[in-house]
Amino acid sequence: MPRPESGSRNHDRLDEFDAPAEVAAAARTQRRIALGYASLFALGIFVAPVLSMTLPWWSGARLTGGMSPGFVVAAGGLYAFFLGLGIAAASLARSVEVRMLGTSDEEDARR
Amino acid sequence: MSGLDTTSLAVFGVIATLVSVLAWRHTRATTVDFFLAGRRVGVVTNAGAICGDYLSAASFLGVAAAVYASGVDGVWYATGFAAGFVPVLLFVAAPLRRLGSVSLPDFLAVRFGSDRVRLAAVIAVELVILSYLVPQAVGSGLTWELLVGEGIAGLSPYATGIVVSTVAVSGIVIIGGMRGTTWNQALQFGFLLAVVIWLAALLWSGGFSYPLAVEQASAAPLQAVVGDEIVEVVDRLDGGAATFGEPGARYGPVGQLALLVTLVLGTAGLPHVMNRYFTAASGAAARATTVWVIGLAGSFYALAVMLGSATRVLVAERADEPWLAALTVDGVLRVPEHALLVLGRLLANTPGMAIVAAAAFAAMVSTIGGLLLAASASFGHDVVARILRPGGGPREPVRAGRAAVLVVSLAAALVALVVEPSQLLATFPSLIATMVTWAFALAGSALTPVVLLGIWWPDATARGAVAGVLAGAAVAVGALLVGLVTGADPSDGIGAILLAPALVAAPISGLTIVVVSRLDPGPGVTVAVWTRMHGTAHDRQTERLARMTLRGGR
Repeated sequence: MPRPESGSRNHDRLDEFDAPAEVAAAARTQRRIALGYASLFALGIFVAPVLSMTLPWWSGARLTGGMSPGFVVAAGGLYAFFLGLGIAAASLARSVEVRMLGTSDEEDARR
Repeated sequence: MSGLDTTSLAVFGVIATLVSVLAWRHTRATTVDFFLAGRRVGVVTNAGAICGDYLSAASFLGVAAAVYASGVDGVWYATGFAAGFVPVLLFVAAPLRRLGSVSLPDFLAVRFGSDRVRLAAVIAVELVILSYLVPQAVGSGLTWELLVGEGIAGLSPYATGIVVSTVAVSGIVIIGGMRGTTWNQALQFGFLLAVVIWLAALLWSGGFSYPLAVEQASAAPLQAVVGDEIVEVVDRLDGGAATFGEPGARYGPVGQLALLVTLVLGTAGLPHVMNRYFTAASGAAARATTVWVIGLAGSFYALAVMLGSATRVLVAERADEPWLAALTVDGVLRVPEHALLVLGRLLANTPGMAIVAAAAFAAMVSTIGGLLLAASASFGHDVVARILRPGGGPREPVRAGRAAVLVVSLAAALVALVVEPSQLLATFPSLIATMVTWAFALAGSALTPVVLLGIWWPDATARGAVAGVLAGAAVAVGALLVGLVTGADPSDGIGAILLAPALVAAPISGLTIVVVSRLDPGPGVTVAVWTRMHGTAHDRQTERLARMTLRGGR
């Protein structure tokens, strides 16, 4: 890949632009964050079926009525987990972008 | 067909047509307007439209059917469908929008700077769309068969349902384009969500207890209807009789893993869903939209699972009612896909069934609309405007796209007419959801690996991308064909992998991209493309323009 050259700029329409070196650094950070959350996601989604096959209590115990811990997690708990994880990941990704990109505009404006 | 059934379907048809005509009056015959609704769709509207696109017959009828037929093992369909948007949020949504393309093949062609990649992606996209359209058409046929029970112009009820839905949706898409389809999809998802909430409210107001229903459903061994016989479902994990509340009714360990991987990977490769991200105003808006989708879809699936559980109990309790006796054997539904429709009638008599049927049609129509539009964009823009006639006018891709809608919808309807659902139900107890899984398998095998590596690995080359798409598609199609021809057991072992092949085909596709790219002396991504895909200049500009507009409006 032709690595982004520090200092060269990709001018967008109007006066907003990104410095390729900043974008490359931000993309690496975003990739690390996404992989971290993806590991958490994989743990959440694959641990439930594994538990149902290895831990009799997971499917045999009753939390309320006929609902086992496995049923509660599959029928409702995992959706809440996905939403919580999604909100956290989106917030972090957004804050990384705000922190790492677009700062050159402000610096240029101050000069 | 009762007068009420006719009225509910007619009202639904009139509203969809009005929305499309209204959108048509706001749509200019240009690529960005027809295929992308002018890139001005708001976050919540787009989230509703994505849900409308995504929640097909497989979700509305299929999830409740899978839970009805297989208990907790059926719940994993809903989990997999909902989970698929998490990788989309983490890896795909924002960069996909920021590159600013028209379709998934267009995105890949711009990223890799190659029309060969575009062509390979178009082939994969059309395969996915066709395999996704067929179960929607089958669902239309089954719903018409149950609700109306009569054919038109000498056709069987099943064939009539297919023909009516195909003609109606083709018209909506051809007239309304992306704007009309977006508005219809958002409205239709609102309707779907309202219907499942309404059914849940009716259940609760009648004293329904979810935990007690699961207990009641799990009290006896799980039964299914095969032909006209009632049989006990075998536990795939320990060989005894399966029960509703415990795993094993449908999958062994390999089967469950294969299903989950297929559904989780498949979403990021679904062309009709990914195309919606190009209509968002910015990358940040695309990401925010996905968070909304995860919340809305999760709520829908949690309720659908509960309704499937409730149906298991209520049908058994009231199986002696004459209308229900015709649909059941010893208190078990012959066709699990009828679960939600039957529940509607159990809770609110014929009007309840008519409303659920209208919602089922809405689910199918909105998904078929999205699929046809994706087929239209990939043919009109990617094949005609970019490859066959690059010098043509702005109206040409739109005209070609409209023609593609007719061809693809006709092809899907023909395949659905050939399919005999009654023959397949013995092997696949929740047929529509199973058939949709095949489309997910194709998408997850052929397109998701190249999308992920294209976005996050700058050294991936065009040759690598073409090889990866073709390898993933070939392995997935080959596995599915072998599985179907040999009558493989979808519940576990090699049969499960053959019928949900993304577990094997996606890694093969990804590995092919890596190996070929490493051996390829060609260039990886250009600085300009990488900067546009991962930069936020366009987002900041959009936000700045929005702030200026707000200030100017005051």
